[in-house]
Amino acid sequence: MWKFIVRRLFITLPQVILLSVLIFLMAQMMPGDALSGLIDPNIDPAAIEQQRENLGLNNPWYVQYTDWITGALQGDLGQSFRYKMPVTELVEQRLINTFWLSVATLLITYIIAIPLGITSGRYNDSWADQMITGYTYIGFATPLFIFALVMLWVFGYQLGWFPTGGSVAPGLEPGSFDYVLSKLQHLLLPAISMALITTVNTVQYLRSEIIDTKQKDFIITARAKGASESRVYNRHILRNSLLPIAAFFGFEITGLIGGTVFVENIFGYPGMGDLFIQSILLRDYSVVTAVVLLFGIASILGALISDIILSLVDPRIRIK
Amino acid sequence: MAFLKVEDLKVHFPIKGGLFNRTIGAIKAVDGVSFEIEQGKTYGLVGESGSGKTTTGRAIVGLNEITEGKITYEGEELNIKGKAIDPRRDIQMIFQDPYSSLNPKKRVLDIVAEPLRNYEKLSRKEERQRVHELLEQVGLSPESILKYPHEFSGGQRQRIGVARAIALKPKLIIADEPVSALDVSVQAQVLNFMQDIQKELNLTYLFISHDLGIVKHMCDEIGIMYKGRYVESGTKQDIFNSPQHIYTKRLVAAIPDIDPKKREEKKQFRQEVQTEYEQSYNDYFDNEGLAYGLQSVSDTHLVALPEKG
Amino acid sequence: MESKEIKLDDTQHVATKSPSGFSIIWREIVRDKIALVSLILLVLITSFVYGISLFLNQDEIVTVDLFAIHEPPGEDFLLGTDYGGRDIFGQLIIGTRNSLSIGILVTLMTGVIGVLYGLVSGYFGGTIDNIMMRIVDFFLILPFLMIVIVFVAIVPKYSVLSFSLIMTAFLWMGIARLIRSKALQEKELDYAQASKTLGSSNLKIMLTQVLPNLSSLIIVTMTLNLAANIGLESGLSFLGFGFPESTPSLGTLLSYARNPQTLEYRWWIWVPAAVLILVLMLSVNNVGQALKRATDARQRRG
Repeated sequence: MWKFIVRRLFITLPQVILLSVLIFLMAQMMPGDALSGLIDPNIDPAAIEQQRENLGLNNPWYVQYTDWITGALQGDLGQSFRYKMPVTELVEQRLINTFWLSVATLLITYIIAIPLGITSGRYNDSWADQMITGYTYIGFATPLFIFALVMLWVFGYQLGWFPTGGSVAPGLEPGSFDYVLSKLQHLLLPAISMALITTVNTVQYLRSEIIDTKQKDFIITARAKGASESRVYNRHILRNSLLPIAAFFGFEITGLIGGTVFVENIFGYPGMGDLFIQSILLRDYSVVTAVVLLFGIASILGALISDIILSLVDPRIRIK
Repeated sequence: MAFLKVEDLKVHFPIKGGLFNRTIGAIKAVDGVSFEIEQGKTYGLVGESGSGKTTTGRAIVGLNEITEGKITYEGEELNIKGKAIDPRRDIQMIFQDPYSSLNPKKRVLDIVAEPLRNYEKLSRKEERQRVHELLEQVGLSPESILKYPHEFSGGQRQRIGVARAIALKPKLIIADEPVSALDVSVQAQVLNFMQDIQKELNLTYLFISHDLGIVKHMCDEIGIMYKGRYVESGTKQDIFNSPQHIYTKRLVAAIPDIDPKKREEKKQFRQEVQTEYEQSYNDYFDNEGLAYGLQSVSDTHLVALPEKG
Repeated sequence: MESKEIKLDDTQHVATKSPSGFSIIWREIVRDKIALVSLILLVLITSFVYGISLFLNQDEIVTVDLFAIHEPPGEDFLLGTDYGGRDIFGQLIIGTRNSLSIGILVTLMTGVIGVLYGLVSGYFGGTIDNIMMRIVDFFLILPFLMIVIVFVAIVPKYSVLSFSLIMTAFLWMGIARLIRSKALQEKELDYAQASKTLGSSNLKIMLTQVLPNLSSLIIVTMTLNLAANIGLESGLSFLGFGFPESTPSLGTLLSYARNPQTLEYRWWIWVPAAVLILVLMLSVNNVGQALKRATDARQRRG
């Protein structure tokens, strides 16, 4: 068991390093550097060159990389030249917003997936199963951004049930009950939109897993021994099918990241995805680099956690 | 000079494990096997599943890498990397499973012509002609040339496999349980046909099987394997008339007899052999349950006799 | 009771397994009404779009006409105009053509790379496979969308070609992984082993023996990938990081809806594009799913 975890950790480290190198090289390819935003254009070119030298921007790339990564490890992600503030500060509030959006999405995803998947798998080929399968078909084919647009149009503009932008109504006291309520109201529509699409994979997985399991010999044996139908499901089938699902949330993170870029953009929700698009458009590359790095590490860690949980749940995985 | 000579052949498969997937041990599939085959004869390699008989055959055609030992074919050593001449053209194989050994997406023409395309530069017409001849030789109608393997029965498929194996006019054919996947009713057909072909083309067979009845029918010389080692080898007479090793004795005793009058007699004999096997197991096998080295009993007969005591 | 029914079904499928290849696929599609409708719809849309676009002038359509801004659908403009007075209908046709074309292009490129990569990795196995799969794992873990957007933003001389290359660079891994695991099984089968004893080289065995046996898997995966790629392209264009400005795509039309005014009051600009993407992706997916069932004997309908 621990062997698997240690081996898995040994794969993670090079992944993180490789990711940081890739992002660093990408940053190098971006036009302009940390200085282009800071300096008054009227300053003498020789002085700029001097500054460059001082900041280490003329060093070979591996020295610059080491400087950058040491900074990042100490929590220094550079300066945003647009907002004239440290990237870390800029990112902080956005990160919290995106975090809550992701948590809400994951929760709703499972709240939808588990009952639908179980119904669909247990009573397969019933009319309920056909409805659910139809939903997963459509959900699988629908691009998230179109669905989110329609949701915003219908529930935001036409019906007016939800706010159409921001993460909190202005003028509320942070920490107050109204404030929290408003926050919740703002993230509900984006979270539901995203969950309704991403949940489809989990429903399909759960359905086919249950259908597979219920034909296995040990289930037939349990039935033959006279176990009641509900006991067969609760004790035998669900235990086998639900645990892997619980572990999937780590893998979902990679998908969520892509989702937040669209959803935050459409709902004007001030999170990391929104910040990312804004910064690209403003050519605020130090922010872009930081966001990609953070999200990259998040998905590496997500996959790591999922792999470890899965290996605890399913011994077959450990063998590889 | 022997036609095919196998000397102290060892094929070990590594066991991976530990933190960094390093090799931590080895499965000794074949562990020191030696034998010789004369041209034109059929040599039977017998053993239970996992005894290493198939691995030995695969090592000779080069499908498994040799860990140690030497295989010489007509005086030339096989399995040396970077060698210019490839004597493998002369050595072909018939596989056990006639279903998976023919590519389901290929027509019979492509299957049988594959070796020809690799070694002989034939025009399309010549190639078709050759395939026609080969199919006739194995008793299939030439119309089947454009059919797919799934349109044939198991016995017919095995014939296609034989046609492919003899396409290059090989001298040695390794037949790995060629009939064990077939219905009993078809087995005799294919076996007799293999013997006909052998005479016609002066083939040498290395016949791998777990069925002593078939081996008795087919082979001139026989080697009995157990856990990667030889326990006994000799001519057909040596093995069937005077088996020396308890393992061989038990195998021979287990051959069913069709005469119902002898049933009781046979049953008693089998029980005697079983008792002997249980009593002297520790004499004949070492602490790991492996056979000892071979000792000569006669000119042709070698047996792994007890070494201790 | 339910499981018994499935069992019965299974044996029937096994019995019909022997007629191999494309006849099964065709039969499955015809039998599955939804897939058949989808296929017909796809053929109609594709031929219509490619046909009409021959008569349309892309430059004319993307030229701004200040006298016809935000015209609702009517006689002059079948589906109205956008904020630059450009004809929506024309943009829709050209956009669908462009989206389809790039979807197909990217699917083919990722398909070729993924199949070859997976084939080599699975066929050789061992250390080669191990290293190649670690590389795939790494690519799979990247925040795909963001990296693509960054590359789109920083590539000099950005064009349709560079866009499809960027997409391809980060989309070949899924199919590579699938092909690899199947190739790993196939090369152990006796027919591949037999080819070795018959003197065929590894390259020859991979391409002429193993590859044909992966064809159904490749077709299914590429069909499903096509749907995904059309969705991705339109998504990227929606965000403004897809096709260059001068080349309209379905996503470009949808991106106008990011303006709340357009979203709320000028449905004719974005709803047709949204419907078209949905129809395209549903159809391609349905056909893909039917193909998948056709190649998987257990799921076949009859």
